[in-house]
Amino acid sequence: MYGVTKVYPGDVVALDDVYLTVEKGDFVFIVGQSGAGKSTLLSLIYRGTVPTRGQVFVDGRNIVRLRRREVPLLRRKIGAIYQDFKLLPDRTVYDNVAFALEVIEAPPKDISRKVSQALEMVGLSGKATCLPDQLSGGEQQRVAIARAVVNDPLILVADEPTGNLDPETSNGIMALLSDVNCRGTTVIMATHNQAIVDRMRRRVVEIEAGRIVRDERQGTYCHEA
Amino acid sequence: MRLRTIATLTSQAVRNLKRPTCMTTTVVVMACMLALSLFTLVAVNLTVIGRQLQAGVELRVFLLPDAGPDAVASLERSIRAIPGVSRISYVPKDEALRRLEAQLGDENGLFIEDMPYNPLPDSFDVSVRRADEAESIARRIQELEGVEDIVYGREMVRNLVGALRVMWAATGAIAVVVLVGASMVVANTIKLSVLAHNREIETMRLVGASDAFILFPFVVEGLLIGVIGAAVASLMVFAAYSLLIRWIGSAAPFLKLVADPAWLASAALSLVGFGAVVGLSGTIISVRRHLRVDVQDV
Ligand SMILES: Nc1ncnc2c1ncn2[C@@H]1O[C@H](COP(=O)(O)OP(=O)(O)OP(=O)(O)O)[C@@H](O)[C@H]1O
Ligand SMILES: [Mg+2]
Repeated sequence: MYGVTKVYPGDVVALDDVYLTVEKGDFVFIVGQSGAGKSTLLSLIYRGTVPTRGQVFVDGRNIVRLRRREVPLLRRKIGAIYQDFKLLPDRTVYDNVAFALEVIEAPPKDISRKVSQALEMVGLSGKATCLPDQLSGGEQQRVAIARAVVNDPLILVADEPTGNLDPETSNGIMALLSDVNCRGTTVIMATHNQAIVDRMRRRVVEIEAGRIVRDERQGTYCHEA
Repeated sequence: MRLRTIATLTSQAVRNLKRPTCMTTTVVVMACMLALSLFTLVAVNLTVIGRQLQAGVELRVFLLPDAGPDAVASLERSIRAIPGVSRISYVPKDEALRRLEAQLGDENGLFIEDMPYNPLPDSFDVSVRRADEAESIARRIQELEGVEDIVYGREMVRNLVGALRVMWAATGAIAVVVLVGASMVVANTIKLSVLAHNREIETMRLVGASDAFILFPFVVEGLLIGVIGAAVASLMVFAAYSLLIRWIGSAAPFLKLVADPAWLASAALSLVGFGAVVGLSGTIISVRRHLRVDVQDV
């Protein structure tokens, strides 16, 4: 990410001249106050937004000038967990997770095997036939996680994946993300969860009002004095 | 796209069809198709009846009195060579007189026998293939050497051709109105359908669904609305028309309506095809406007 500035309509400067490089296989926490620009930063990666200025490279490709039909191809390489989950309300838990595989037209056998695995990982095997409305916030979040990891993405973009979870489930999710990371997936995660960041001791990037103010290899949530 | 994907997406579109707006639109499309098929049937039948009348359109070409046999033969060849001429026969003046006698009947026939010489000229009876060409063919024959005068039912031909032209123009106009109007209605319905699924579409995009994947169910939905509307309309018209043919067959057998089953079947199929065009164009109109949201708005 080179010199990226994002100005939303109404002159809201969400990101201001940001330079950030994440190596393949890295695990990065993005921290910062609410409204600092974490979600905006993440959305640049899956082209949920395009920068007002600057360039964004994913897997060696500049994705700012992507042709329309190339956008889905980019997104299939990236698993994303959205802050508001973005589940399909009229599909069951199973179908929501399967959808990520259906769009790449995976063989039906692979779909059922991978979806079952993913649901087991997040502990939702018993709720496969529920609709998202019938789940608690934390359960919906775990469906979103299952969907994000089900097709073994190159990069996992996670926007507050532990936002609605109790500490125990959060730890389970973090173990899951570490697992995915160990298998080679780059994980970029925005979070407010101080305990997790401090315990994991991974790279921490802090954003404040759209600028990167700190970048530590084995950082903690707060700046160490 | 794989077959299985197409099947899944199609069943989704069929589920969408059950919404009340889709039903209403299908009925509207059906009504349009009914109007169109009624006009087409009237126009086609008038044309066919017209053709039967037209078949009787003959020009009578009178020759100059001093034409020798060579001149007559070469004139006959020239007329036969004119495109649109279907039949030509030579009527020598004796034959013409005999026909006149026969027409007039016994009483007046006496009067003819009293005449000192045959006043009628030699002539050709020329049949033309299409009534609307009669005038131009007559003009060309008039220019040939040895032709004295031409007689034909000018007024009748003109009126018939004019009426048919109006009828077909009206049918064409209805077709255009149906195409545009029904397409707009379909477009509106698909627009509502797209808007109803706006959040879903956004999510599908984010998960990496291609445009084709997202569009497909809407295209099928529009197509089905058009095809179902047209199919129901053509079934209704087909049933009503069959009854009409049977009724006319006994009540007014001299009216020969078009009843060729192959033609009727192909007409019904064309109507369904037209419905498909209406449905597709409606979908394309609306999808182009409402699904071309750029990533920045996502
Ligand atoms: N679509 C948008 N249109 C206009 N302004 C926006 C939009 N999205 C975000 N913003 C603004 O950009 C700034 C950064 O927002 P962003 O969502 O990136 O913050 P964040 O760090 O993710 O906050 P949080 O921790 O609450 O999720 C905020 O001031 C927000 O109001
Ligand atoms: Mg956020």
